[in-house]
Amino acid sequence: MDGVTREIPSDAARGSFAIRLDGISKNFANAGEPLEVLKNINLTVAEQAIVGLLGASGSGKSTLLNIISGILKPDRGRVCLCGAASEEFNDWCAIGYMFQDDRLLPWRTAIRNVEFALEAGSLPKTERARRSREALELVDLSRFEEAFPYQLSGGMRSRVALARSLVTEPRILLMDEPFSRLDAQTRTLMHTELLRIHQLKRMTVVFVTHDVAEAVVLADQVAVMSPRPGTIREVVEIALSRPRDATQPEVTSYIQRLRALI
Amino acid sequence: MSLRRTVRFILSLNSIAQIDVSYNGNPLDLQFQLHRHVATMSELIEERALAKPVSRKLRLDLLMQRIVLVAVFVGVWWLASLSVPHYILPGPARVWEALQLIVRNGDLWSNLGITFWRVTIGFVFATLVGLPFGIVLGANKRAGDFFEPVIPVLNTVSSAIWAIFAIIWFGISNATTIFVVFMTAMPLIITNVWQGTRTVNADFIELSQVLRMPDWKVMTKIYLPTILPYFFSGARLAFGFGWRVSLVAETIGSSSGVGYRLRQAADLIRTDQVFAWTLTLVLMMATIEMGILKPLENYLFRWKKDAEAQ
Repeated sequence: MDGVTREIPSDAARGSFAIRLDGISKNFANAGEPLEVLKNINLTVAEQAIVGLLGASGSGKSTLLNIISGILKPDRGRVCLCGAASEEFNDWCAIGYMFQDDRLLPWRTAIRNVEFALEAGSLPKTERARRSREALELVDLSRFEEAFPYQLSGGMRSRVALARSLVTEPRILLMDEPFSRLDAQTRTLMHTELLRIHQLKRMTVVFVTHDVAEAVVLADQVAVMSPRPGTIREVVEIALSRPRDATQPEVTSYIQRLRALI
Repeated sequence: MSLRRTVRFILSLNSIAQIDVSYNGNPLDLQFQLHRHVATMSELIEERALAKPVSRKLRLDLLMQRIVLVAVFVGVWWLASLSVPHYILPGPARVWEALQLIVRNGDLWSNLGITFWRVTIGFVFATLVGLPFGIVLGANKRAGDFFEPVIPVLNTVSSAIWAIFAIIWFGISNATTIFVVFMTAMPLIITNVWQGTRTVNADFIELSQVLRMPDWKVMTKIYLPTILPYFFSGARLAFGFGWRVSLVAETIGSSSGVGYRLRQAADLIRTDQVFAWTLTLVLMMATIEMGILKPLENYLFRWKKDAEAQ
């Protein structure tokens, strides 16, 4: 280890948390048979932390993310967001969500796609445009405001999607395998981009991945999930300084440790 | 791509992308160099895609071709008319005279106007009924399954049959033509909008749910833009069909309009006038198509990937 460990804002030290999950369980009806997707999940995510949910497919990590985002309701258990129970929580603007694919509306230009995230609310048009322009600037795409999605490369589209999930100034950013469809180089660029923005905006990030290296490079903590039923096997602290490179020996040892856990 | 072609392509990048590419005979070296520059290259290509390729010379060429085409057509027509009596095939000069006559006595504009008005009213009604119906049928599976057989049935009934019904119900009046246009255009619009509604991307709906977007905004911001291209092609088809069937309706169920004038001219064996009316109709449709619909389509759907450019 190189000794320069980044201070991890932990629950105990700061006494505040962004997300707390208490005994979350979820079943899906699968051809009449109930399928236990999540069983008794407990997890606390400290404010400003970056947490990876790592697991093989079928371990319920996307379901868990959707429960945090409020799209899905858990069968049992409680979700607390920013200190409030999920049912009472209504500041959904504080939650940004980034999907596996970029989901840009093909008929809108880059800037209008970013604006889309603000259109659920009642901000005036000029204010929406101003914030969207800022968000595009944040991801370094100012020159492509008026480009349609088909004119952009995969990495640029991904950055527009990132700008869209950041334009609401979320305190929590949820990401569902956000970079899994990009090529290796672009993915690395996006990791750097995400960490840079995290330094600036200090939002809490929870991301789902099945890529062990991605989890180690990005996260402060990695929650390793095991399937059937989906449970959290272990939460591993990644006590390494940034930037991290998947070729560094410390990083590699973490990767091997996590591989063994999955 | 063969290795040699790949190498040649990469070396050619030197000039366009200011990328240092040296080829020392070892293809593995070259691959490594390319790797380092992937990001720059893709950004460059994107920028070029943003610039609109406008070629005036190409357009001028196309215009010339069109003019030649028209000239050839008129020439063949003139040659053919020389050997045939004028009440069978009048020559271009004769038709030109007939055209001038109906322009001068005001026949042309008043009849074109009345026909245009009837088509438009029928078309507007067809849209008002077809658009909401199409959306409901596409969005609601039960309603869609229930009404599915109705559309092919409506489509198979000939416009001539609708015209006959219209005369029985409405007599010789505007309503006859409007009804026929309506009955022809409406199923076309419903079919297209229906199809369009079924292509609405569930991922986009999920996106709007995550953003807590109210239903009516999902309707206007996701559904309508998805449906619009389908509606547009349906409406375009319906408008063209509307024009054609309006003439059928007017020949048998009206005392004014282009269709009525066409039949009148035919009854009087004024073939030159039949030609003149036909010509004006063709010109009008071409103007609407190329002057309004095509530019509108290009503007509305500029976000679509241009198949030719790829």
